[in-house]
Amino acid sequence: MSEAPTPNETGGWETLAREAACRLESGGDLSELQQFLTFRLDGAFYAVPVERVREIVRIRPITPVPRLPAEVLGVISLRGEIVEVVDLRRRLGLEPTEPARRSRIIVVHGGDGSIAGLLVDGVTEVLSVDESDLRAASGDAVESLCVRGDEFVSLLDLNRVLEIDGNQ
Amino acid sequence: MAARKKTRTRKARVVSKADKEFISEAEEILERMRLDLADLSDQRAAGEEVDPELVNRLFRSAHSLKGLANLFGFDPVQNLAHHLEDVLDGLRLGRVLLSVAVVDVVDRTASLFAKLLSAVGDTAAIEAMSEAVQALIAEIELAKQPVETQAEEFATLDIEASLLRALTEYEEHRLRENLRRGRNILLVDATFEIISFEEGLSELTTAIREIGEVLSTLPAPGESSKAQICFSLLVASDLTSTEVDARFEFPDTTVRSVAAARNPAPAAAGKSVSTSVSEPIATVDPPDGAAPATSNDAPQIQPPDPREFESLKSISDTVRVDIRKLDELMNLVGELVIQRSALGDLVSRLHGDPATARIGSDFGKVHKALDGKLRELQSAVLEVRMVPLRQVFEKVSRVVRRLRVELEKDVRLELCGADTELDKLIVEELIDPLMHIVRNALDHGIESPNERSEKGKDPQGCIKIDAFQRGNHVVIAVSDDGRGIDRERLRAKAEAKGVIEPGDVLTDKENLDLIFAPGVSTRDEVTEISGRGVGMDVVRHNLAPLGGVVDVDSEPGQGTTISMTLPITLAIIRSVLVAVADQRFAIPLNTVQETLSIDPEQIQRSEDREILNHRGDALLLLRLSDAFGLAGLSRDEKSFVVVLGMGDSRIGLIVDRLEGQQDTVIKPIQGPIPTIRGIAGATELGDQYPVLVLDVSALLDDALHRKEAA
Repeated sequence: MSEAPTPNETGGWETLAREAACRLESGGDLSELQQFLTFRLDGAFYAVPVERVREIVRIRPITPVPRLPAEVLGVISLRGEIVEVVDLRRRLGLEPTEPARRSRIIVVHGGDGSIAGLLVDGVTEVLSVDESDLRAASGDAVESLCVRGDEFVSLLDLNRVLEIDGNQ
Repeated sequence: MAARKKTRTRKARVVSKADKEFISEAEEILERMRLDLADLSDQRAAGEEVDPELVNRLFRSAHSLKGLANLFGFDPVQNLAHHLEDVLDGLRLGRVLLSVAVVDVVDRTASLFAKLLSAVGDTAAIEAMSEAVQALIAEIELAKQPVETQAEEFATLDIEASLLRALTEYEEHRLRENLRRGRNILLVDATFEIISFEEGLSELTTAIREIGEVLSTLPAPGESSKAQICFSLLVASDLTSTEVDARFEFPDTTVRSVAAARNPAPAAAGKSVSTSVSEPIATVDPPDGAAPATSNDAPQIQPPDPREFESLKSISDTVRVDIRKLDELMNLVGELVIQRSALGDLVSRLHGDPATARIGSDFGKVHKALDGKLRELQSAVLEVRMVPLRQVFEKVSRVVRRLRVELEKDVRLELCGADTELDKLIVEELIDPLMHIVRNALDHGIESPNERSEKGKDPQGCIKIDAFQRGNHVVIAVSDDGRGIDRERLRAKAEAKGVIEPGDVLTDKENLDLIFAPGVSTRDEVTEISGRGVGMDVVRHNLAPLGGVVDVDSEPGQGTTISMTLPITLAIIRSVLVAVADQRFAIPLNTVQETLSIDPEQIQRSEDREILNHRGDALLLLRLSDAFGLAGLSRDEKSFVVVLGMGDSRIGLIVDRLEGQQDTVIKPIQGPIPTIRGIAGATELGDQYPVLVLDVSALLDDALHRKEAA
């Protein structure tokens, strides 16, 4: 997965994510194989559980919101919903950059029924992971590492990612 | 926005109270007419037998409208309604052929009624329409194609001549019609006690209606006792007399066949052949000699016609409310919500001080209860504003019916989800964009029947409108099975308009989305149907203030789907738009007392605060740029002050620019930090940038209590 294929359309991912979410809702069995949406961030690969992904959208105008910590870039309008966008680079302590052409906003379900946007450098693929491929990790927001060829993919704990202190 | 402005100016004409009453009642009649008309047209299109009751209802509607217009002295409507009534009467009696032309002209008459009604109070506009009224009346007369009367075939019926003579023209027509359809004609004789005959007759009629049509109800002066009354009911049914008799459990009632079905039901198989056989299948002698007598005297007592009762009962139990009254109610609720958050602040202040902590906690409970009730109130008010999409769909199907004739295209319209509910205001604003999309589909999407046949498609095209709820939104998708969107052409057009550069690499979706770019239309020639100088960009633009979005999906050769996603409800609040640096903010108008333009010299200082002498009062100033940490104008430039007031507190908010007023829909912010002090939510305006809405109560509180921003 050195040169991961870049999807020219986000529809495919969205469909996969939705399917996974549907399976989860209908009580499908996901015990042995878990699916993750992987994406690039500052040269490394990260992933979030596919069932937490609502959709993937292109970069769109972001309105900065005063009084928010720098990790939150501002709000976007998503078919009438106003959603905060978290700069995942900043959130994970990486070097912030300007959004590029391949940048995407992954819209994820928060823990409390709300949604949030995560700005990433680019979405790569949906990964099916077996329990045995997981390695423990000790990061702040990284739950575990997954071996993928000779590279590691960091699986994020979304709840921790979305725990941002408003009183910076 | 443009659409909103239109609805506001429309209300500028002078409408008296009596006029309003007339409009309201006439609109109700018209609405009923349109629904019936839509059903009628559908039945015709589906090749079904047209329900005679539909034509009757239409006739009655036209009649009521005429009477109403007469009562209120509204001549153009009365005149038009009179001619409409006439042609519908002809249809009802079988004198006029139910042709496409008739349906079309009746349809257009209904549209003209609507236009006339919307112009009540505007004499000039009414005057301008008089020509159209006259033209349509002429068309109505032309459309009346007489039915060639066939040779009388009633001779074969096993029925007394006197009974036949007593039939009205309408009843004769229905009898003929049912014979033509080859149904069984039965005569049901019934005897009732005179004191309770109304009830009994109505029960019997209801029972018969379940199995067929009551052609006529005639009193039969028999030799029954004085306390009894006999009726003969001429009935058309698919069941035979034996079957009907077996079904009925009415005492003193007999059923006999007058004409057997030409395509007999299995039970009667073998008994009758292809011609109308006038052989009584099951004749039971009336127990008390109540057989219809061969009296030549046409009975003078008119039996109560149950249909008349129906029309009297049709007074609806709904209340018509001016949408503006609901808006006022909505605004009041909105203000209550703002007051509630002010209370919340008070609760936390009481909580914070140990001396008042206890009362604070009690207060907190009350506040919480109030909060719950307020939410209920809010959703109840929203509920009242909800209307089903049925009426919109009905309007669309009328337009499609007309357009398919004009465009000579064979199109079937499929509607799903007519019961989906939306805010009345959204429904109003939705009609134009939806019509535009449907027109586009008909005009550009669906090919001509020949072209379709050549491509191996069903010559009849299909436009499907599907409405359904998805979360807090309603999706309305318009799909056609036409030629689809030509990407190359779209791209070329966008390049020509300078929307994109020739070298730009686009994804398929981006390519399709070009349809929403200003001035890009898939066809070069402007047609009257969809090329009215507006395009899909207008559709997108019109929906944006409602918080709606449009998406397009198209498969070349297979068709196009355009879906609109709209919020179910709107809490519309008028807002003042202000700007600091390059960012805009919305301030709810109900918190704005006035706006001032000030020179830097007018601002005075007291300690570290800025104040303004405002008509002798010291108005505390707050720079929005300071409060929100934005790079605003420098302090020695001319700026604007928005005087904000809630309750007794006032402050002057200094902003760089004022950008007018706008109706806004306040949406909550979702994300890891949903509550931000000083921001009540966000709203969408024409562009894609969400605009933040200020929480005036919090800003006032912070400024007056010198609390620093968290």
